[in-house]
Amino acid sequence: MGKKRKHSETEAPAPMKENDSAPERPKRTLLGWKDKNEDAEKSKPASASGFRNKEKVLVTCSRRISFRYQHLMLNIVSLLPHCKKDSKVEAKSSKGATLNELVELKGSSSSLFFECRKHKDLYLWMVKSPSGPSVKFLVKAVHTMEEMKLTGNHLKGSRPLLTFSSNFDKDAHWKLLKEMLTQIFGVPKEHRKSKPYHDHVFVFSIIDDHIWFRNYQISVPHNESDKIARGGLDKMTLIEVGPRFCLNPIKIFGGSFGGPTLYENPFYVSPNQIRALEKRNKAGKFAKKIKATTRRKMHELANPLEPDEFADMWKDE
Amino acid sequence: MSFEEDIVSDDEMNMIDEDVETDSEAESLSDSETENEITEKLAEPTKTAVYNRAGLLDKLQDISWPEDVDWIHKLTLDIDLGQAVDVNDDLARESALYNQALQGTREGYAKFEDMNLLFLRPANYYAEMVKSDTHMEKVKSRLLHEKKQMEESEERRKARDNKRMAKEVQSQKMKERAKQKKDDIESVKKWRKQRQQSGFSDKAGEPELDFESGKSFQRGGGKKRPGVSPGDRSGGKGKPTSRMNNKKREFRDSKFGHGGRKGLSKQNTAETTNDFKGGFRGGKASGNKRQKR
Repeated sequence: MGKKRKHSETEAPAPMKENDSAPERPKRTLLGWKDKNEDAEKSKPASASGFRNKEKVLVTCSRRISFRYQHLMLNIVSLLPHCKKDSKVEAKSSKGATLNELVELKGSSSSLFFECRKHKDLYLWMVKSPSGPSVKFLVKAVHTMEEMKLTGNHLKGSRPLLTFSSNFDKDAHWKLLKEMLTQIFGVPKEHRKSKPYHDHVFVFSIIDDHIWFRNYQISVPHNESDKIARGGLDKMTLIEVGPRFCLNPIKIFGGSFGGPTLYENPFYVSPNQIRALEKRNKAGKFAKKIKATTRRKMHELANPLEPDEFADMWKDE
Repeated sequence: MSFEEDIVSDDEMNMIDEDVETDSEAESLSDSETENEITEKLAEPTKTAVYNRAGLLDKLQDISWPEDVDWIHKLTLDIDLGQAVDVNDDLARESALYNQALQGTREGYAKFEDMNLLFLRPANYYAEMVKSDTHMEKVKSRLLHEKKQMEESEERRKARDNKRMAKEVQSQKMKERAKQKKDDIESVKKWRKQRQQSGFSDKAGEPELDFESGKSFQRGGGKKRPGVSPGDRSGGKGKPTSRMNNKKREFRDSKFGHGGRKGLSKQNTAETTNDFKGGFRGGKASGNKRQKR
């Protein structure tokens, strides 16, 4: 059964590519809702004005990425049916050029590049490919699907709802980020690998100047597939699926993988600095102790005790 | 744009030399840093940070989709969180994120319903899921394990409580018993005193009831049968237990000797001296081994 469907999926898009104006390809359905859907689409003919989302995301990572971060990447790959995973990229120097070439080769319009440094820090490059901006994030609070044992689950490749917190509109760089997130994480409508139905929701929320990501399964009581049961909206619950991560934007560049800096996070402290500081704090302990003892000694020498006038008061008797 | 063009040359290789940059930054920071607080975020924004608002908006214009794109292509929803959330309060943060998702989903679903779309997955629609069955199995087993552990710990706690209760009850019972005994003895004493006072003499009437010494409770009185051991309940009528009734004892006697001279049985005779079959060590044991082979 599963095989059969797959077959039809792979065959269907071939004729569609040849002529876009061709009538809708037959819907893959199990139930008889084909006609209804067509009606719905006919009712709003011109508004789409032939817009077609052809987003394709290339997902790669750097060499020597740690397994957790790799799992995070794989989780994201499983969430995005319109993405293409590529092998790891070496070449620290001229990385930007290589990656640009790679993206062009794959015919992708955007890419996510997971860069792991020192086996500790994960940086995420979010790039709009041909000329668009690129953003470098520091990824923190990473929890993959595998390690969290969350009970949620949803269709692979179903289109997610994208919810953004309202503070994405408060500044220019947040607006840009929102647009990029929408394009990269939104699954194109009628993508051939995507599934019908909407059963999960992504959360992008800015808290403390970081973008927090969550993925929830939607569970709603329903009998028909186009109508929620009465009072179902109130009974609706969300079950988390994972993964979790938190993005801290570092810089926004004008080109793809490089170019002029358009934005720099003024609050950003690199994890290297933090670690260095920690180390220094630890190292200073002994030196501080010695310093304190010498200071004490100096102080004692400088202010000697006065001789006690009552020292031998009782000695005579 | 000419301004930007200038920066390009500087920033073109930005990715490569960023490491160097951060290192130098770190050094400069260490010099100025006197207090030892470790923060993941600078207290105040650095003045030199670039913020090219025009460029950002330009780029946004470049990449954004046409204005009149249907919502169905985007599926985006803006949700007002209300007040700011404390990041370090995990519970508050998670609940805020959850609420955002919930509110968004409600709005989205309302829109879907208005559009007459098929958006809910029917119960008989099976397809590949994000998490594989093996993964979900793991999740399930973990949940079950947690539940079991909880139950076990609960049981253990109950048992402990029960034990404590039982101990208390026991001690109370003992106390009660002791008290009862004391009361009984007291009452008997009292009764005797009353009797004495009322003029009965002990020796005239009944035999002496000597409760205190406890001798009167001993069975069998003073009569003792001769030749009966104190542990023998049959009163000497049963068979005297002989050593020979015990098979094990018999065997051991024959092996190690009981009665008679011991010395001879352990000494060599002419026969055993000439018998080399058994070897010199082990004697019987090794001989047996050989026979088995």
